[in-house]
Formats: sequence, C-alpha cells, structure tokens
Amino acid sequence: MNLTLSHLIALLPLLIVCVTVIVVMLGIAWRRHHVVTASLTTIGLNAALVSLLAVLTVTPIRVSPLLLVDNYAVLYMALILIAGLASTTLAHAYLEGFDDQKEEFYMLLGCSVLGGLTMVASDHMLSLFFGLELLSVPLYGMAAYAYRTRLSLESGIKYMVLSAAASAFLLFGMALLYAESGSLAFADLGARLTEGGGHASWLLMGIGMMVIAMAFKLSLVPFHLWTADVYEGAPAPVTAFLATVSKIAVFALLMRLFMSAPVTDIASLHTIVAIIAFLSMMVGNLMALRQDNIKRLMGYSSIGHLGYLLTVVVASDDLALLTTGIYLITYVATTLATFGVIALVSSPWQGSDVASLKFYRGLFWRRPYLAAVMTVMMLSLAGIPMTAGFIGKFYVLATGVEAQLWWLVAGVIIGSALSLYYYLRVMVMLYLHPTEEEQYDASSDWGQRAGGIMVILLALAVLVLGIYPQPMIMLVSSAILG
Amino acid sequence: MDLAAQLAQNWSVGVFIVAVLALCTFMVTASALLGGRAWGHNKETPYESGIVPAGSAHQRFSVKFYMVAMLFVIFDVEALYLFGWAISIRETGWTGLIGATIFIFILLAGLIYDSRVGALDWVPKRRVQPDRVHQPAQRDQADN
Repeated sequence: MNLTLSHLIALLPLLIVCVTVIVVMLGIAWRRHHVVTASLTTIGLNAALVSLLAVLTVTPIRVSPLLLVDNYAVLYMALILIAGLASTTLAHAYLEGFDDQKEEFYMLLGCSVLGGLTMVASDHMLSLFFGLELLSVPLYGMAAYAYRTRLSLESGIKYMVLSAAASAFLLFGMALLYAESGSLAFADLGARLTEGGGHASWLLMGIGMMVIAMAFKLSLVPFHLWTADVYEGAPAPVTAFLATVSKIAVFALLMRLFMSAPVTDIASLHTIVAIIAFLSMMVGNLMALRQDNIKRLMGYSSIGHLGYLLTVVVASDDLALLTTGIYLITYVATTLATFGVIALVSSPWQGSDVASLKFYRGLFWRRPYLAAVMTVMMLSLAGIPMTAGFIGKFYVLATGVEAQLWWLVAGVIIGSALSLYYYLRVMVMLYLHPTEEEQYDASSDWGQRAGGIMVILLALAVLVLGIYPQPMIMLVSSAILG
Repeated sequence: MDLAAQLAQNWSVGVFIVAVLALCTFMVTASALLGGRAWGHNKETPYESGIVPAGSAHQRFSVKFYMVAMLFVIFDVEALYLFGWAISIRETGWTGLIGATIFIFILLAGLIYDSRVGALDWVPKRRVQPDRVHQPAQRDQADN
C-alpha cells in the first residue's frame, strides 16, 4: 500500500497527538514546568481537534487494512479530544497542589487519548486491541497517580488486574474468531457469520468472550465490581477522563463491530445482551441509592446509564447509531461537568478528594455558580426535560419502543424513577443550610480558572442542547451517513 | 445447528475436560486414602533432609534492579521490531526508511527522557523531599 497525501491527512489527528506526547516528554526531560507542559498538551489536543476539519475533506478513507477513517470516526474523535481537553483543564487546576511530579500526567493523558482515537477508527481486530491497550495502560498510571494515598493506589492496582483479565478474554475471543473465520477484519468476520455453517458454536464463543471484555470496560453488570472503587480512588480529573473517553471509545467500537458483523441476529447472544442491559439498569440504580460518596454514586449511576445505552445494541436497527451518538454526546457533556465540579471543589489537591456528600451541604450559599452547574447536571443525568439528558433518554426510549423491546423500555423507566431519588438527594444537599462543621471549598478564585469557565460552558451547552437539540441531531445523522 | 449435532461435533472436548478433572480428583483422593502420613517436628521445615535454611526468604531487593530489567526489556523488544524492517529493507524502500528513522528517534527521545529523570542512575542524587507519606486527611477520618 502506498501512503498518499490524503492518507496522511486522514491520520493527522493521530499524528498530532503522537507528536504532542513526544514533545511533552522531551519538554519534561529538558525542564520541568507545570504550566508549560499543560499548555503544550492543550495546544496539541486543540490542533488535533482543528485538524479534524481537514480530515472531513478526505473521508471516508481506508488507511491500511487497520484503520477506517469515516465521518463516524471523526464524530467520536472530536468527542474524545474534547473530553481529553476538559480533563487537561481540570488536571491543571487539580495538580497545582500536588506534591510530587506533576508533568508526567499530561504524557499519560496524551497516550490514552491516542488510544481512544485509534479505537474509534479501527476496523480490524489488531487495531482494536492496540487501541484498547493504548487507552487502558496509561489509565492505570493515571488512576494511581497520587500513589502515596492508599485509595488512589488501590484503584490503580484494581483497575490494572481486572483490565488484564478482560484483555485476556478479548485476546482469546479474537483467537477463536480468527481460527474460524481466517481473518481479523470486521467485514470478513461479518461475512463469515452471515454465511454460518461449520463451527458456529466456536464463533459464538469468540464473540461472547469479546462481549465480556467490552462489558468489563463499559462496567456493565455482572462485570461492574471495579467501578465504584476505581471511581472513588482515582483523582477527580482522572475519573472524569475514565468515565468519558474510555466509555466513548469502547462503545463506538462496539457499535461498529456489531454493525459490520451482525452478531445480535444470533438469538442467544441477543438474549444475553438484553439481560446484561436490564441488570445494569437495575443494579446500577439500586446500588447508587445508598451511596454517601458522590464519586461512588456517579460510578453506580454510570453503570445504569450504560445499561440504558445498551438497549441500542439490542435493537441494532437504523435508529441505533443515531441514538448512540446523541446519548454519548449528552452523557459526556453531563459527566464532564459533574466531575468538573467535584475536581474544582477538590482543587488544588490536598491529600485526597472532597467526595463525601456531606461536604457539599450548603454549597449553594458559598459557591452559587458551582452549585448551579451541579444542579443542572443532576437534572440532566436524571433526564428532566429542558436538559440534554432528556434528549438522550428520549432517543433511547424511542429506539426501544420501535424495536418493541418492552422489557428494556420498562427497565429504562424504572431505572429513571429510581435514579431521581439519589440525583435529587444530591441537589437537596446543595441547598441545605450549611452546618457548623469544617467546610471544604473550591479555592475562591475558581471562576477565574479555566476549569470554572469550562464547567459553566458545559452547563450552558447541556441547557442549549436540551432546548434546541436540532443541530446536534443533524450533526450526528450526517456523521453516520458518511 | 441443533444440540445433537453440536454434541456430536464437540464431544471430545467435553470428554477431555471431564477426564482432566477426574484425573486430578483421582490423584489427590487416592494418595490421601492409600498413602500414609508421617508427622514430626522436622516435617515442617522447607528442606526436610537438607541444609537448614538461614535467614528469611523475604529479602528486599533495591528497586533499581527492577528498573533496569524493565528498561532492558522495553528497549530490547523495540530493537526486535527493527529486525522486521531489516529483512524487508529493499522492498519497503524510502517509506520504510523514513518510518524506521522516526521510530528510532522516538526511542532516542525516550532514552533522553529516561536519563534526564534519573531512571538510569544507579545511585540517584538525593533530592530534598518532604515527608510525603500521606496520612489520611482529616476529612477522611471524619467519615468514619
């Protein structure tokens, strides 16, 4: 294969992030400087984001057998880069008080973003695995970045051990699929599946093992046990990154795999994915009811949300890709702003995060804007109309109803009803009168920090998308057509 | 494909799994039932009729050994990738050469980074460090 200019343009975002990581590494080697390192990362990620406009002129294009850069990939690349930028902004404010080497964080973040970009463009098992590992391995280091605190170290190790187990499942599944189909490309695999015959049970087992690995990364029941601990222990900007980038990349890839290899036509797999979705909605929301730690609460609520989204995989119809895009955009905006507020309240780092719910008591009387942002986010997560979360949930319900998946529709409704309790509980906490206990606050100049501006912008975006979602719907539908 | 056909196709795997489990169970139970068991003070030592071990098995090695081992493995594996390029150097032409050059320069950048952060120094310069083992902050204790 010859690498032409249009191939290089298609790879531009990947190349720019790659160069950013190396420049940041050499910058650290030359002289350590927190602000410069953070700025370099921000510039690099922004440049990659801008380069997506150039990529749009050459899509769809296949770069080597491994990567397929189409509009679908570009949409999710943009989401990943925005989430990466938001995490960088939060990390800058957060790490100011960190009493160890701060700069390597941005290197790990860049590598992880690179993995996510590779994943959403991958059309081949090899690039899938490569992207997934490049996404996950830096995340172990990021989760354990404040490694002198017990919780952070614990979350890093837990995530590493369980992720390694999931990778083993993924590899074994791929090996079985390769043994049966003789190809690692998604398209060939799909052709082999529809053809059927022979050793269909081995194919099924291979797909099943891959689903286990993906379900682990998406923290779906029964592979969810790590979620709450990792969310709680990891520093808040890392949790924001983990809850967005890793979920977007894995889900976008899962949809691409299932669209090119229509495995959900197989009855048994269809049933299993539906059961996983229903259980995730129930278990995630029920477990979140009793949490007093806002990061754990968000962890369990993310299990529920991914359960809602999995309805789309079960349906696998024309509406599915549109719903995935819309739901992921709204979920990412909301999650980023929620963890943004948590990170800002915990910034600068002082030994651990401010995550216990009682420290948010009366936040409104001290930091009205921050509390307002949190309120909008809780409403959006609960799916109240006028917020982006409602649009996402509406599309999930529409997909479920159209595919006549009544059990899952019932699950979404029951889950939403349950979730109202804990989301509103957080909101009530924000407006109660503060107690006399010691208070933990965002440092008073938080509004001047880039992080503060960012969460306000995200909150505005959530409101605007909730009231006027048409541009977002147009964007996503144009992305899935190309 | 119905169940009977699947069974016909995969029965040997099932038999193998059952046979493995059966063999393990047989070996453990049979030796427990038939074999004698001697008890004694010296039975508990690591080498029953050998040299009495001295000291603890939990020796502490300097973390530097692991660091060097890791760096060696990383650069060794990366050098192995170059063999793939070396055998096809004529076929890949200029594109291959440029690719390999970029790869080698990235490795060089990594090496510079390693040496600058002191990963290659056997005896690191003593840095002025605060007491950085964090006690749980007050707010954590308040939770309990």
